[in-house]
Amino acid sequence: MKRIINLRPSRPLAVALGIVPFILILMLYSWGSDLRKAENERDKLLPSFTEIQKAVDRMAFTPSKRTGEYLLWQDTKSSLKRLLLGIVIAAMVGLVVGVLTGAIPLAGSHLGALTTVVSMVPPLALLPILFIVFGLGEVSKVVLIVIGITPFLIRDLDQRTRELPQEQLVKAQTLGGSSWQIILRVVLPQVMPRLMDAIRLSLGAAWLFLIAAEAIAATDGLGYRIFLVRRYLAMDVILPYVMWITTLAFLLDWSLIRVSKMIFPWYHTAK
Amino acid sequence: MKDAFIAFQRCGKHYGSHVVLEKLNASVQEGEFVTMVGTSGCGKSTFLKMLLGTETQTTGKLLFNGQPIVAEPSEDRGVVFQKYSVFPHLSVRDNVALGREFAESPLLGKLFGQKRRQALAEADQWLEAVGLAAARDKYPHELSGGMQQRLAIAQALIKHPKVLLLDEPFGALDPGIRKDMHALILKLWKENNLTIFMVTHDLQEAFYLGTRLWVFDWPQHEAQDSDQHGATITFDLPIEQRDELQASDLEFPENESPVLMEVA
Amino acid sequence: MKHTFTSALAAAAILGSLFSPAALAKDNFKICWSIYVGWMPWEYGDTSGIVDKWADKYDIDIEVVQINDYVESINQYTAGEFDGCAMTNMDALTIPAASGVDSTALIVGDFSNGNDAIILKDKTSLAGIKGQSVNLVELSVSHYLLARGLESVGLSEKDISVINTSDADMVAAFTTDDVTAVTTWNPLVSEITAMPASHSVFDSSQIPGEIIDTLMVNTETLKENPKLGKALVGAWYEIMAGMESDKSVREHMGKASGTDLSGYESQLASTKMFYQAEDAVEFVNSDSLKQTMEYVAEFSFDHGLLGEGAPDAGFIGIETPSGVFGDESNVKLRFDPAFMAMAAEGKL
Repeated sequence: MKRIINLRPSRPLAVALGIVPFILILMLYSWGSDLRKAENERDKLLPSFTEIQKAVDRMAFTPSKRTGEYLLWQDTKSSLKRLLLGIVIAAMVGLVVGVLTGAIPLAGSHLGALTTVVSMVPPLALLPILFIVFGLGEVSKVVLIVIGITPFLIRDLDQRTRELPQEQLVKAQTLGGSSWQIILRVVLPQVMPRLMDAIRLSLGAAWLFLIAAEAIAATDGLGYRIFLVRRYLAMDVILPYVMWITTLAFLLDWSLIRVSKMIFPWYHTAK
Repeated sequence: MKDAFIAFQRCGKHYGSHVVLEKLNASVQEGEFVTMVGTSGCGKSTFLKMLLGTETQTTGKLLFNGQPIVAEPSEDRGVVFQKYSVFPHLSVRDNVALGREFAESPLLGKLFGQKRRQALAEADQWLEAVGLAAARDKYPHELSGGMQQRLAIAQALIKHPKVLLLDEPFGALDPGIRKDMHALILKLWKENNLTIFMVTHDLQEAFYLGTRLWVFDWPQHEAQDSDQHGATITFDLPIEQRDELQASDLEFPENESPVLMEVA
Repeated sequence: MKHTFTSALAAAAILGSLFSPAALAKDNFKICWSIYVGWMPWEYGDTSGIVDKWADKYDIDIEVVQINDYVESINQYTAGEFDGCAMTNMDALTIPAASGVDSTALIVGDFSNGNDAIILKDKTSLAGIKGQSVNLVELSVSHYLLARGLESVGLSEKDISVINTSDADMVAAFTTDDVTAVTTWNPLVSEITAMPASHSVFDSSQIPGEIIDTLMVNTETLKENPKLGKALVGAWYEIMAGMESDKSVREHMGKASGTDLSGYESQLASTKMFYQAEDAVEFVNSDSLKQTMEYVAEFSFDHGLLGEGAPDAGFIGIETPSGVFGDESNVKLRFDPAFMAMAAEGKL
C-alpha cells in the first residue's frame, strides 16, 4: 500500500469525488427542509426546491408588478455596473501608482509609507465621510469598492514591478531607453498580466464592498435585494441570489484567466 | 603608445569598511578581448558593473576614451547577462528592434508603418548574423538557452556598441552549444571591431576566447578573509596565436601552475 | 478534494443544528431582544436578577439574550432558536406569522408616541414631500409610518420614491446634499431634528397606538408552558414599577443603550409606556387594536410581505380580544391579555 500522500485519483474518479460533496449538500438541504416543513409547513428558513424555483421564476422571468422590470436582471445589471466600474478605476489607479512607486525609487520612498498606512484603514468605518464627500448615490458605492481594493492593488503591483529582473532594466538602458520609454515598453507590458492576477485576488473583497455598499443605501442591486427581503426572511429569494452571485464571481474569475491567457500567452507559458 | 581606450587608474571599490577591489591599474586598447577569471567573491562581477555603470568606483579613476566613464548604463556599452537579458513579452524580432525603436521614437518607444518595417528589417539582419532568422516570430520562452543568448547578443549589437560586456554568458549552456557560441562570439567580435570584457568560470573558455586573460585574486593570500584588503588583478596574461589553438587542445592539469591552482 | 469534503462535513454540522426540533414541555427557555427604548427593561431585568428571581419562583430557567441586529433577532426567533423575542406588531406579522410561526403578544409594553418621524430638509409640511426621494429602512415600521402619513395628506407611495438605507447610516446620510427626506426612529430622530434646516413633519404621535412594541412568544410553547408566561410577565411588571419610580433604574437603562439619563428620558417622552398592567390590558382589549392590525395587514399585503401565496390582506388571521381579523382558520398572530391581566389582579 502506497502512502496516502502518493495516491492520486484518476480523472473520472476526481470528477466524481468533486461532485459528491455538492450532491451531499443538496441531499442534506432537502432532508433538512423536509424536516422543518413537517413541523411547520410555512417554514421560510429552508424553503423547498419548488418554492425556490417559484421564487426564481418570479424574480428572473416575470416582470415586477410595481415597476414592470425583471428584478433579478435589473439587480444584476446595476451591481455589475458598480462592481466593474469600481474594479476598472481601482486597477488603473493601482497600475499607475504601483508601477511608479515600484520603478522609481524617488516615488517609492514618498508614497510607499502612505499606501502601507492607507491599506490598513478599514474603509467601512469611514462610510459617513464617504457619504458626505461623494453623496449617497452611485458614486459612493463605486468609491467604496475603489477605496477598498486600490491599496491592495498598489502594493501588489509595486511588489510585482520590483520583482522584474534588474538585468532587464539595465539591458534596456544599454539599448538607449529613457526612464519613460523603459516604463512604457519594458515595465508596463510585463506588469499587465500580473495586474490581472491581482484583480482576480481582489475580486472577493470587491464583491464584499459592493454588497456592503448596497446594503447601506440603494434602490436596486443584488446586495440591496438580499438585505431587503431578509426583513421578512424570504430565504427562497436569498438562496438563489447567493448562488447567482457565486456563479457571477466564478464567471468573472474564469473570464479574467481566459482573457489574460489570450492577451499574454508569453506570461502563462513561461511560468 | 597611444592613449588607452579604457583605463583604470588606482581604482578601488568598497562598501563601508568592506573593501572589494583595490589598486586596480589596467589599460585596454580598442579591439581587445579580455577574459576575466577568479574565485567567487573576488570582485570580477563588481569590476564588470563598474564598466557597465551600475556601480561607481569609490577611489581612483575609470577613463573611457580619455574621459571619466558615464556612471549609468548607456548605448556605447552593450551587455549580455547569464540570464534575464531578453524581454519575455516581446517576440524575437521585437526584442532586437527595441533598440532602434528607443532611438527613433522618444515619446512612445514604439515605431509604426515604414519606420517600423525598416527597424524590423535591420533586426532581421542581426538575427541572420546570430543564426536566429528562423525563430524571429517566436517568443523567448519558446527558445532554448543557447538561442536566448544569441538573441541577447543580436539585441545588443543593433546599437553598434563599442564595448560588449559579457557576464558569464555561456555559463548555463551545454558544452556542445557552448562551442557554437564561442565560434559565434569570435566571428561577431572580428566583424564588428568590438572591445569585449567577459567574466567566466571556465578557464579553457578564457584561454580560447581572450586576447588577454585577467586573474582576480587577493594579493596577500593569508589576508583573504579580512575585510581590510580587496582583490585586484593579480595576473595579466597576453594570449598569442589564439587562431591556431582549439579549445579542446588546451589541457591544463589542475595543479601545474600557481595561477591555475588559484582559479580552478 | 479533502478540503471540499471537510467543508461538506462542516455544512452538515451547521445544518444539523438547524433541525434539532424544539421539545414542547421543557424548563429551559431563551428570549432575545435588541437595543430600543421600549426594550431596555429586559437588559435591566437580566442584569438586576429580576428575571432569574421570577424564573426561580416558577422553577424554570430563562436566558435573556441581547442581539445587536434587530432583524436578525426576529429571524432567529422565527427559525426556532428562541422562545420569545421583542419586536413590533408589524414585524411580528410579516416575519414570524408570515412564516407560519404562530406567535402571541405576551406583553404589550408600549407604543410609539413620536419616536418614529418623517423629517424633511427645508420643507415644513408633509405635503412638501411630493416628488422627493425618501431614505428609510424599506419594509420596516418607518415605511408603514410613511404610508400612513402620505395617506393623511392625500398622497400615496406613487408620489415619492423610496431609497432603502441602513438605520446605522441614516444620520450620516441626512448630512449629504442629495438626501432631503428621511423616515426613521429614535434616537436617530432626535439626532436628525437637531440639525439645521430639518423639520419633523409627521410622527407616530399622529397615529397613536399603531406602532406597538411587544414581547412575542411562540404560541405553542406558551400553551404547553404557562409558567414561562407567568414568570416573564411577573418580572416585567416588577421592572416597570422600578422604572417608573426610580431614576437610577432609568439611568441604568439609558447607559446600557449608549446614552445617558436625559437622553433616555427624552426618548421615553415620545414613548407611551404601559407601566401598569391594567393599562396594557385595556389597550389590548380596545377595538382600535383590531383596526390598527387591519391597517398593518393591508400595508404588508400591498408590499408583498405576507408571502406570494397570500390572496388578500386577511390571509393571515390576527386574533384580538375584540375579534379576529382575516382568516379564522389560519390564525398565526394573537394578542392575548390573559397573563397581563393576572399581573393586574396581583395573581402572579
